[in-house]
Amino acid sequence: METRSFLTLEDTSREELREILDLAGAFANGRVSDPLADKTVCLAFFEASTRTAVSFELAARRSGAHVISLSEKGSAIAKGESLIDTVVTLDRLGADAIVLRHPAAGAAALASRHTSAPIINAGDGRGQHPTQALLDLCALQRSLGGFDELSRRRVAIIGDILHSRVARSVIPGFVQAGIDLALVAPGTLLPPDAGAWGLPVLSSVDEAVGWGAEVLYMLRLQRERMAGALIPSVAEYSRFYGVARRHLQNGALVMHPGPVNRGVEISGDVVLDSSSLIPDQVAAGVCVRSAVLTLSTGAISKAAA
Amino acid sequence: MIQALDTPADLVIRQAHVLDPASDLDGVADVRVSSGRISEVGQNLRGLRELDADGLHLFPGFVDVHAHWRTPGREDEEDIESGSAAAAAGGFTGAVMMPNTDPVVDRPVVVSGLVRRVERESRVRARVSAALHMGLAGERLTEMRLLKEAGAFCVSDDGPGTRPAGLLRNALLYARSANLPVILHCEDHALSTGVVHDGVAASLAGLPGSPASAEDTATATALILAAETGAKVHITHVSTALSAALVGFFGERAYVTADTTPHHLTLTDDLVSTLDGLYRVNPPLRPDHDRAGVEMALRDGVLDFVATDHAPHASEEKELPLEEAAPGFLGHETAFAALYTDLVLGGRLPLARLVEAMGCAPGRWAGEGGSLQVGAVADLTLVDLSESWTVQRDTLISRSSNSPYLGRMLTGRVVATMVGGNLVHDRTGAKFGLRT
Repeated sequence: METRSFLTLEDTSREELREILDLAGAFANGRVSDPLADKTVCLAFFEASTRTAVSFELAARRSGAHVISLSEKGSAIAKGESLIDTVVTLDRLGADAIVLRHPAAGAAALASRHTSAPIINAGDGRGQHPTQALLDLCALQRSLGGFDELSRRRVAIIGDILHSRVARSVIPGFVQAGIDLALVAPGTLLPPDAGAWGLPVLSSVDEAVGWGAEVLYMLRLQRERMAGALIPSVAEYSRFYGVARRHLQNGALVMHPGPVNRGVEISGDVVLDSSSLIPDQVAAGVCVRSAVLTLSTGAISKAAA
Repeated sequence: MIQALDTPADLVIRQAHVLDPASDLDGVADVRVSSGRISEVGQNLRGLRELDADGLHLFPGFVDVHAHWRTPGREDEEDIESGSAAAAAGGFTGAVMMPNTDPVVDRPVVVSGLVRRVERESRVRARVSAALHMGLAGERLTEMRLLKEAGAFCVSDDGPGTRPAGLLRNALLYARSANLPVILHCEDHALSTGVVHDGVAASLAGLPGSPASAEDTATATALILAAETGAKVHITHVSTALSAALVGFFGERAYVTADTTPHHLTLTDDLVSTLDGLYRVNPPLRPDHDRAGVEMALRDGVLDFVATDHAPHASEEKELPLEEAAPGFLGHETAFAALYTDLVLGGRLPLARLVEAMGCAPGRWAGEGGSLQVGAVADLTLVDLSESWTVQRDTLISRSSNSPYLGRMLTGRVVATMVGGNLVHDRTGAKFGLRT
């Protein structure tokens, strides 16, 4: 069986995206049973995470895998064991796939050079978070009526792009899916060469709506970056880079990788009901991760999917 | 100085292509070495011992004013024996050891200890740079006059640089009265908050970047203070086009020299997209417009010479995600070949200028070597410009293996190095056995 790592979405083709999302759909409809029976999936989290860890664990268990969880507390990771040592140990213990979360960009790629087990990048520093972008595409295509409906849709990515691994996976993944993107952020939260992506940069959510954004993809602003050197105040940030009620009048959808800072990325008085894809994103997480785990271990080959 | 290899009393190096821009030598000639000095350059010289160098090039020995030999404190990464052997293998006959060791070289007793160890253990002329301030912490001046009495050749803030400009100004004033040259590492830590150059590659890879302004503003400050204090200042590892231009502006206005490194002349920041910890270095690899600007400044003599910033690191400090890896590259063994391959064979730098930038100019700065004229010390480098070789981990002489050129095929190989007429590196011992 051929295994494959999921480190980044930078080199993932449109057809590969379709294949992964089709398999995720099969999982969602209950058409795949226990593809990972007798497989062992290790979750190695070198950085705190609740949502992603739970989502991966559910995805692995629902696919029939044994799950071993290493997190910071009480494990070798807390004792300062190195990334490479941990990965080599998990490899020798017979892990069939290793799900890795780490605070430094490139950690997943480094780990993959030291094991023959497939590595699934569950977020590395500011680098990549490929399953997040995949579940976003999954939720979005379902809401729009299919993968081909993604083509030429206008999505604005709004907020802290500089520090965001979500953005670094969403941008190439959405572009490959045929989506037109614009970036919305102040200069202090944009990489210096944001133009390297070849995307328009807009200066407010109002401008994004004017540009014709059908989806407002809000990035989380970490609490420690809310006041001081990067943005002057939460009030000013939310005024220009937060979603207000007026932005949703023409049917724009809101996405967010969670957890939402109410009153920051999304105004307190915005009622997120039909316009919100956020619960759909969370729900898509489990079936997308089941699909990724299954493809990574080679338990279901491309043809069967 | 180690005299492990043959020590001929009188030797003629025959038929090498002798190239020394400082002495206007450029052609096939014989060179006689007597009592550790060059005694004659001419045709048809005969000697008691002869070394057939037909087909090789003979240059003034290279001098590297920026070397980290990790002694004292990190001898697992490099020590004076291994560092000087690596230097000799790269054609270097002299080096300046940087003070950011553990402990920092900030006390006379550490300097005198190092000087004694150099005498016993070094294959090349190694000079000790003491620290510019205590612990390189940027708070208190070091005892520069006592450090000089103990044998320090210069003072430096390399490693962290100097944060408060006020202390830097005082340190330059004091170094001037102590008559010590100062090697400065220019970095503004308020701006250099990242681990790679803040450019396209960093943006796409998601690596925290430090802007070029972190180097440029600190370089400007250092140059202005050099001009104001009259200290003899050497700006090391210039890596941006703007910093090189600033050095050019102050060339006539201050007692200032500057160097850049082989890696800033040959590599660019697109390597960081590999996210490999091997490619972390400080100052970081820059985009090609900076690399080209630095290359032009070296060619035009605005930057006086090349120094390698040879910085060995244990593999456990490099086999990490890039932002956690220790910054630094090995430099000695690949410097000439990397520059010859990329710049000289690429038609962008004359060989004579490269020899001047690696041998003559830093030799003059260090006060010894750098010339093949009669009477000069016989510090020589013999190079085979036709040999291509692949940089490999297990053939590096350094105790570490963090070379950014690993796996690269380079052209031009040092075959022998002499310090004061002693053979300190002899790669093909059989071929260069001295005949009586």
